[in-house]
Amino acid sequence: MAEEPAALGSGPQFIRQEGIAAPLMMDNVDTDIISPIGKPPNPGATPETRAFEPIRFFADGREKPDFILNQEGFRRASIILAGKNFGTGSSRSVAVSRPLAGGINVVIAESFGPLFYDNSVRQGLLAVPLEGDKIKRIAEWTFANRGQTILVDLRRQVIEVPGLDTFAFRVEPRVREKLLGGFTVREELSRLDEEIHVFAQSYRQSWPWIYQK
Amino acid sequence: MKRRDFIKTTVGAGVGCGFIPMQSLFAQQAAGMTMYDKIWEAHEISYLGGVTSVLHVDRMMLPDIGPAAIKRLLDAGETIRNPELVWAVADHQVSTSPERYTNRSLNLGSVADDFPEMKEQLASMGIQVFGIDDPEQGIQHVVGPETGLTLPGMLMVAGDSHTCTHGAVGCVSWGGETAQNVLLTGTVIRERARNLRVNYTGTLGPWVRGKDMILHTIGTLGADAGNRCAVEYAGPLVRSLSVEGRMTICNLSIEMGAATGMVAPDDTTYEYVASREFAPRGELWDQALAYWRSLPTDDAAAFYRDETIDMTDVEPQVTWGISPEHVIGISERIPAPDDAPFEKRDAWRRALEYTKLTPGDTIADTPIDEVFIGSCAESRISDLRAAAEVVRGRRVAPNVLAWVIAGSQPVKRQAEAEGLDRIFRDAGFDWREPGCSKCYGSNGDLVAQGKRSVSNSNRNYVGRQGIDAITHLVSTPMAAAAAIAGRIVDVRRLMAGEIV
Repeated sequence: MAEEPAALGSGPQFIRQEGIAAPLMMDNVDTDIISPIGKPPNPGATPETRAFEPIRFFADGREKPDFILNQEGFRRASIILAGKNFGTGSSRSVAVSRPLAGGINVVIAESFGPLFYDNSVRQGLLAVPLEGDKIKRIAEWTFANRGQTILVDLRRQVIEVPGLDTFAFRVEPRVREKLLGGFTVREELSRLDEEIHVFAQSYRQSWPWIYQK
Repeated sequence: MKRRDFIKTTVGAGVGCGFIPMQSLFAQQAAGMTMYDKIWEAHEISYLGGVTSVLHVDRMMLPDIGPAAIKRLLDAGETIRNPELVWAVADHQVSTSPERYTNRSLNLGSVADDFPEMKEQLASMGIQVFGIDDPEQGIQHVVGPETGLTLPGMLMVAGDSHTCTHGAVGCVSWGGETAQNVLLTGTVIRERARNLRVNYTGTLGPWVRGKDMILHTIGTLGADAGNRCAVEYAGPLVRSLSVEGRMTICNLSIEMGAATGMVAPDDTTYEYVASREFAPRGELWDQALAYWRSLPTDDAAAFYRDETIDMTDVEPQVTWGISPEHVIGISERIPAPDDAPFEKRDAWRRALEYTKLTPGDTIADTPIDEVFIGSCAESRISDLRAAAEVVRGRRVAPNVLAWVIAGSQPVKRQAEAEGLDRIFRDAGFDWREPGCSKCYGSNGDLVAQGKRSVSNSNRNYVGRQGIDAITHLVSTPMAAAAAIAGRIVDVRRLMAGEIV
């Protein structure tokens, strides 16, 4: 990782992640599961373990043994494997920042909740869409090879699982450019400043009723 | 370069893109356009490759902390782009206690107190701010359409996920945007969604309404059915609904996993919009109306997915699990995991474990602890009237804590003018102040730990309304009926006198 270029922008950068993948093979893992808000933190939680509180801890703070990140070999996972619609629910930024604080910076899932997805792009967590059967193969491999790491490489858009396979994925060109360069949204838009300004001027003239509030 | 130009120059060369084959997009456009695509293209400033574009924003709606966010930017010497397109309202962080006006500390943070000092400065920039002392205050997704700050044809964005509600007036709206990005640029970067149409046919039975339509839809199509899709709700049943009923449907688009939801504007819409405070008048109205009439989807437009939901014989809906797709009719029995499609069995098992229900039991007669009527899903005047009709002359069951929260101050005033508050109070409901409250369990407005709640809101996720709290999503009249009976009941039977 020492070879990687410095970020061009001042935003979060993602180039590649080599780490343990933890299978959380459920559909519809919602944002209230990932990061509850409005409630006191679980008594067992630390700043690093606040993600997934409701399925990670009992209300009294004891760890739930069936939760994957509480199991030996998966505690230091930095990659989550999931099913469909991961992150369905709200726009809360903590749905991404709490997993990041716990060292999770990749989620590989069949599909993502739209607002979690937007948040992940903004905050530099890589949301990788992949077909379900491929995710299942990786999940099975992680159980058979506890503690071993896989590589998620955004530049080449591949997931390398040693001894199993290399899986290609595609993210939007803009997402790839943003994360590889470490740009903020504002930095991305700054080169379009003139275009945006011109559009806004003509828009205002075309649709005056929108401005009459 | 605009996307359309891009298609013209590259589609022949066979250039693909991330998620939608360009050629299929091109084919759709040649044949006719959907409402979503029309509004998207009217706001498209620049195409960034794949399905991503930079879009001009017509309305940025800020939550409670909005004014503080603006202040930070101004203090840092930044310029707010298009400030006259921005507005803010206190909803998530305000207490719904009647004492919130005198005991300001009940409201989280300094939100409510920030407004008075900043109001003048913001007003001079053209930014409306509705704090708790303002007569327009309420839940943002009630206030927007109610004030006419939301209008057809707009691109309306906000932070909050249920911003998709506004699509009911014929605009495109979504949450998940950060205030800073939009305030500083007047734009958003977004991935274009695929077009999904849900056509409603058949007839609605007694006490079956918009909420049941959308819950039944999510149950039928799945909580991820809207993935990467913009949903247009269409068909004669949607046309027959009021704009408020359409808002309930659009509100739960995000629970279907969709990027947004919308209903094409029609005469019902224009009538609804015409009298609103911030709606255009005179010549500007005529100009706007002519534009709005061009928005509905062209007959020849193709959809990525076109679904039909027949509402005939669909009963009032109740959720039994921890996803809005875990939903059944009120007379049905709680399903067994073994009856689930294979890939959903584990999820159903976990859901039943959490909601402490037994497969094979009827969902009806499940005893409950709390009832919540409010939220951006269903807290408008027509919703409260429906609830009051159920409650009138009846009493809340002993040991049930039941709240009614009008969606906004205007809704609350209207309800009080009609005597609805009296009906609720006499029955034993708490009549509280407008805000988000127990829908997401904040400001201490929580369902007590491990208690069972019947709620007319939109999310039954684990712990959503309170720690280990169990939520059953229903329509407003079904929530009212549950409060009276002290258990989940069929509102139709209650109203027929079959349940005492």
